[in-house]
Amino acid sequence: MTDPLEEYTSSMAERLGALRWVAEFGTARIYVERDAWVETLRRARDEEGLPFFSWLSGIDWAKDAAVGDGVADPDALTERFEVICRLSSVVSGDAMHFLAEVPKHDPVIDSIVPVFAGAAWHERECHEMFGIDFRGHPYLAKLYLPDGFEGHPLRKSYPLLSREVKPWPGTVDVEDKPSLENPEAGAPR
Amino acid sequence: MTELMHRSEVAVSVELQTPDMTLNIGPQHPSTHGVLRLVAKVDGEKITEVEPVIGYMHRGYEKLAEVRTYAQMTALVNRIDWVSGFASEVPFIVAVERLTGIEAPERAQWIRLILTELFRISSHLVFMSSYPLELGATTPLMWALRERERVLDLIESVTGGRFHPNFNRVGGVKPAAGGGSQTKKVSQDLPAGFFDQTRAAMDKVLHVCDELDELVTGNELIKARTVGVGIIPADKAIEFGLSGPNLRASGVDFDLRKVEPILPYDQVDFDVVTAQGGDCYDRYVCRLEEIREAARIVLQAIDKIPAGPLQAKVPRILKVPEGQVYVRHENPKGEFGYYIVSEGSRMPYRLKIRSTSFSNLSILPWLLEGQLLPDLVAIMGSLDFVLGDVDR
Repeated sequence: MTDPLEEYTSSMAERLGALRWVAEFGTARIYVERDAWVETLRRARDEEGLPFFSWLSGIDWAKDAAVGDGVADPDALTERFEVICRLSSVVSGDAMHFLAEVPKHDPVIDSIVPVFAGAAWHERECHEMFGIDFRGHPYLAKLYLPDGFEGHPLRKSYPLLSREVKPWPGTVDVEDKPSLENPEAGAPR
Repeated sequence: MTELMHRSEVAVSVELQTPDMTLNIGPQHPSTHGVLRLVAKVDGEKITEVEPVIGYMHRGYEKLAEVRTYAQMTALVNRIDWVSGFASEVPFIVAVERLTGIEAPERAQWIRLILTELFRISSHLVFMSSYPLELGATTPLMWALRERERVLDLIESVTGGRFHPNFNRVGGVKPAAGGGSQTKKVSQDLPAGFFDQTRAAMDKVLHVCDELDELVTGNELIKARTVGVGIIPADKAIEFGLSGPNLRASGVDFDLRKVEPILPYDQVDFDVVTAQGGDCYDRYVCRLEEIREAARIVLQAIDKIPAGPLQAKVPRILKVPEGQVYVRHENPKGEFGYYIVSEGSRMPYRLKIRSTSFSNLSILPWLLEGQLLPDLVAIMGSLDFVLGDVDR
């Protein structure tokens, strides 16, 4: 183990009792238990010198659905979410991404607003976009979307209307829609 | 007896009360830099609670990115913060380059650096014009925007666009249009005379900084409105994720150009501007000094820029491997970053945009609580946000 980033990540993962860690492309991330979410971030701030709250968001791992393909039965998708939070240092370039898995049937995780007040808006955004509940958030209302909006737009099961109407504009004169089956589509001729 | 009493004889029998009143500001208001709505609860002159209502300009870039190829996204990412479009293109394209293992040639990197700093000057000059205007001074608006036009002309001569350059390509920059040789319509390099024009423009920019110093910086009225107003302590700034001049004005010496440069900033000499007070005045002074530093960087860069190609060899079909990467860069407003989750497709599986103004604005409810209503515009303006950057 010679790479300094790998060393940094693995040693921090060990200290914080993380499930696993990945260091790739100059980006380090560690996976933690959902129950240990708030405590891990608190310890990262206090013990690891990462006080700067950069951002918090989510990832939807419903890999069998591609945006715009149209999902016949959204409920049948095996979705699982990951909540991701980035903390960094204000002295050096040290930074870490923390991820915790949130299952679809129970999309709840503890709010980190008591630790980082700046997370309030980020959690509200994540709540409306992914439908993840943040337990203990002081005011979990919609942030961007209007009050009556239904659905969670950043879920893979949420169709993008413009792609439903016209799956890939410009096929004739620009390029085809690339996909895993047809990666060469749309390459410059 | 129904004789009218003189006004002065009426005894005031009730104590004057100032019950909570809800005041709606916006969504369209000259001081909100876009469409921002504030719902403020005021007790007399004092603000007791503010709730910013955002999302009027939400365009859903994170969703749109999932149905676009990486190359197509560069046209969108510079529209997030339209005052400094180029600076939000760079980290995205560097993130893709890092995933694919392609490195842009040196000259392309220096051109990116020059344009980033030109956009920094442009963005800060917008602040220099709008902020005094919000405090009631109209002259700096004209002076600062006059010099910003020169900078925009430079940007236009290279990229072809004034606000949305769409100039970065994976592995380099777009061949600049219309420059170089008179005989060729498209040259592969910067336009002829660009360096001389840049030197002249930087002279003007530095001159307007001196003018602004005389007109605004030492102005008693401006000081009365801003010194000691809207103080953000360093620990709060860090907790809310404030970055850029807003963070440095609170005494935190942190600049991504020094700490984590993705462009050759280590080869130019410049200072990180900080201030200690954390009030509106310090945020103003930090930005003014940053214009001078940016001009210094540009002048050094046009001397140091090496000759060479603008574009690295990029395969016909860009293979983006599986993986996750985060690249951030010092935007004029602070830390701007992209987190890309790639699943090996030619489109990102998930793109998280860490926009600067979103975090910078999120401190507003905390910051405005307990402040006086007349200070609201002064405090809000000093944060220098762009609503497109807040709403994404």
